[in-house]
Amino acid sequence: MRDEAAILLRVSAFGFVAGIAYWLITYEWFGVLGLLVLGAGPGFAAVWLILQDRRGPGPKENLRIAMRRFAGIPPPDPDDPSDYAADGLAILPLPSIWPPVLSLGVAMFVTGLIYGLWLLLLGGALIGAGLWGWIAAVNRENRYGRLEADHRERGADETEAGIQTEAE
Amino acid sequence: MATTEVPAPAHPEAPHERSKATLVDYLTTVDHKKIGILYIYTAFAVFLLGGVLALLVRLELAAPGLQAMSENTYNQLFTMHGTLMVLLFAVQVTTGLANYFVPLQIGAADVAFPRLNALSYWLYLFGTLIVLSSFLVSGGAPATGWTVYPPLSDSSYQQGTGVDLWILGLGVAGIAAILGAVNFITTILNLRAPGMTMFRTPLFTWTVLVNQLIILFVFPPLAAGLAMLFLDRNFGAAFFDPAQGGSPLLWQHLFWFFGHPEVYIVILPAFGMISEVIPVFSRKPLFGYRAMVFAVFGIAALSFGVWAHHMFSTGAVNLPWFSIMTMLIAIPTGIKIFNWVATMWRGSITFTTPMLMAIGFLLVFLIGGITGVFLASPPIDFAVTDTYYVVAHFHYVMVGGLFFALFAGIYFWFPKMSGRYLSEGWGKLHFWTLFIGFNLTFFPQFYLGLDGMPRRIADYTIDRWEPANLASSLGAFLVGASTLPFLWNVFRSLRRGRPAPADAWEGNSLEWSTTSPPPDHNFHALPPIRSERPTFDARHESATVRAPGPTDPQTRDRG
Amino acid sequence: MLVAACAPSSVTEQGRAIHGLYNFFMWAAAVVFVVVSGLTVWSIIRYRRRDDELPKQIHGSTKLELTWTLIPTALVVVLIVMTVQAQTKVLDPAAGEAVPIKVVAFQWSWQFDYGDDVTIVGQPKQRPTMVVPVGRPIRIELVSADVVHSFYVPRTLFKRQAIPGITNRFDLTFDQLGTYSGQCAQFCGVAHADMLFDVNVVSESEFESWLRTNRAAPGGGAGP
Repeated sequence: MRDEAAILLRVSAFGFVAGIAYWLITYEWFGVLGLLVLGAGPGFAAVWLILQDRRGPGPKENLRIAMRRFAGIPPPDPDDPSDYAADGLAILPLPSIWPPVLSLGVAMFVTGLIYGLWLLLLGGALIGAGLWGWIAAVNRENRYGRLEADHRERGADETEAGIQTEAE
Repeated sequence: MATTEVPAPAHPEAPHERSKATLVDYLTTVDHKKIGILYIYTAFAVFLLGGVLALLVRLELAAPGLQAMSENTYNQLFTMHGTLMVLLFAVQVTTGLANYFVPLQIGAADVAFPRLNALSYWLYLFGTLIVLSSFLVSGGAPATGWTVYPPLSDSSYQQGTGVDLWILGLGVAGIAAILGAVNFITTILNLRAPGMTMFRTPLFTWTVLVNQLIILFVFPPLAAGLAMLFLDRNFGAAFFDPAQGGSPLLWQHLFWFFGHPEVYIVILPAFGMISEVIPVFSRKPLFGYRAMVFAVFGIAALSFGVWAHHMFSTGAVNLPWFSIMTMLIAIPTGIKIFNWVATMWRGSITFTTPMLMAIGFLLVFLIGGITGVFLASPPIDFAVTDTYYVVAHFHYVMVGGLFFALFAGIYFWFPKMSGRYLSEGWGKLHFWTLFIGFNLTFFPQFYLGLDGMPRRIADYTIDRWEPANLASSLGAFLVGASTLPFLWNVFRSLRRGRPAPADAWEGNSLEWSTTSPPPDHNFHALPPIRSERPTFDARHESATVRAPGPTDPQTRDRG
Repeated sequence: MLVAACAPSSVTEQGRAIHGLYNFFMWAAAVVFVVVSGLTVWSIIRYRRRDDELPKQIHGSTKLELTWTLIPTALVVVLIVMTVQAQTKVLDPAAGEAVPIKVVAFQWSWQFDYGDDVTIVGQPKQRPTMVVPVGRPIRIELVSADVVHSFYVPRTLFKRQAIPGITNRFDLTFDQLGTYSGQCAQFCGVAHADMLFDVNVVSESEFESWLRTNRAAPGGGAGP
């Protein structure tokens, strides 16, 4: 278990404990629902993270260490950054007009709920266009990568960043 | 639609030349730094507008009687003031700073979903415009208070489309916030540089993580409430109409289940900024780093259990539960305040503008926090809720807390964002006018509230309230005036401010290891990360190789 | 700080409990404020930068941090106990024969219904007066005719929301003669600021005769 999962697990535990306590004290359903959802959401994310970790490579933590981590007293972090799997190269997407277009579509669509069908349709069309353009751009970048010049420069950056441990 | 071929991919617009970014650059950008700047500018515009509304409100209240405007106008003004400041400025301005600095602090090239990030910003912008457009429609902006309690906000009491636009605009801005939360949480959990373990991430990043977690869990109830209200108003639903079996209390529950954590959405990143600024200008590590992190989580968790302390006077909620949970928040908050003071203790403190703002924060937030404990006690709450005491309290927390921290953050990070320092002279003028004006505005309101002046009244008939109201109004105009040196400072410093090096303040966290402003991909090279102060370590290790004195062997053991 | 410190004294028994609680909180708050702001001001004066030496790098102290966790915790426990005690005094039904008054809040005034055809109805800006006897508990049944309002007489240090669909009950025992102004405290629409009323606390005998004259006017009825 990593600290990330421990954090979410704590939030989740609070949600469940508080939800049950609140129910026993007040019998008021709104808050119970809210608190239990607070328990369930991060709990789900935590379990997913833990399973992800279990499936992944690397050493697994035993239950005792996991419990200590949950309680907020984890073993000290290893000093050597090489203990951590380095991220893959960060691929930055190209500038895109589609987020603003999609947003404009959403804005027109929702105001269409009060001002009439034409605005609703216009907004819907813009949303469709925005999504289409967005997905097409993603596919294109996935297939062909970014501009070549761009790539080269980024590659240079990354290698430099990659050998950050030269001090060791 | 999508008629023809999708536009050709990225004409070589040379995004890497550090020339002036054009309008098109900003329109199409997916770079977290540019998006952060867009957020900050937009939020600041909203702030100026909300501030003008506040000044109009204070203008009306300066003397008894109705002089400047009608009651209806007054009601619209304070409603929109609250809406703009709390829902469309305070959340997003910290999102802007988080956008800029979280990837830098964790050593990432960008956020996890850059396009989604852009979408969040544009949705926020359009949501804000929709809310603002309610001023233009017949019937005007909503006149319900920013809490829009039904039945007052229902269609039988608020005709016109003002409230509908308000609901839709906030809905859109709410979606933006939720998308942003997904993005930030993913970024912080997954994109940290090698070596940057969770317990080496800077406090600001921690607070952003927690703040986005809160957003993720409280904006949906708000959105649900807004949807129900919209259905009630336009499609004959009756969620909040008691005559047809609905319950007005349900709205109060939904709203405050969002509304109280909202306070922490706003104030936690402020804590984060203070936790960045104080160590740097005291030249000491943050006292009790781990305790600070757990305090943030403690506050956030408790904030989910306290919503109905806004509803003590309804007589329909369990008093002890909400009272106890609320008072418990004082404990982690106290830990934070003591740890900040302990960070300064035996430090070597310089009084640059960011540090002055941070000290101002400590003092005003202390008053805001203490009065919060009063309000947590139901009997005292019966006396002072819905009076100016509450107004004073939450302005001490939200304005005092957020503003001073925010300006501390802006003066602190401006060199990083622009490559130039803000002027210290103008900055100090800004600080003192703000500090004096702020206290002059809100301190008299404690007295007014205790003496029984209800909030949200356009007029008061009791003459002994006049001097305090007048003082408060004068203070408000002083606060308004204090933004002028700030705006001028930004304007002039962008052109001819003193150029800032990469490490502008002898900083601790990773953002000070890259150039000012950072390159498109943030880092050319990362220093090794073996503590929560990688830049500090790098500076002191290269200066004196493990010599006694300035180097700190203990830093290395911090987990 | 102390100028704004004191809540005005109360004119009801219940309010006195709140007043006492408030003062206790105020003392605790004053101590906390003085200690924390004193430490802050002391450290910025004492530890301002004098030379370029790097100060000792202290990362924390478990002992100190425990101290400032436990002391506030103890303080909070005390405050909670005090709160619960005061709360009982404020909210428990008062002993003695109570005067029932049904209060209806509407946009934008009040209606006070004493039963037996004695009803006072106000209009915006024209304050209705609620007449009550001194020393006897007033049992208020609070409802709203339209939107959410809040019944608030500042000198009672108490308020309660009037929510459509919900009936709120509480007791007030006035123990000082006089006229006290009251006002709606929950924003309720255009003329919210004009939703004023007065509470006139009179002696028991005056109250009885007031009831009789008002009952005589519309049609009469049996004694209480």
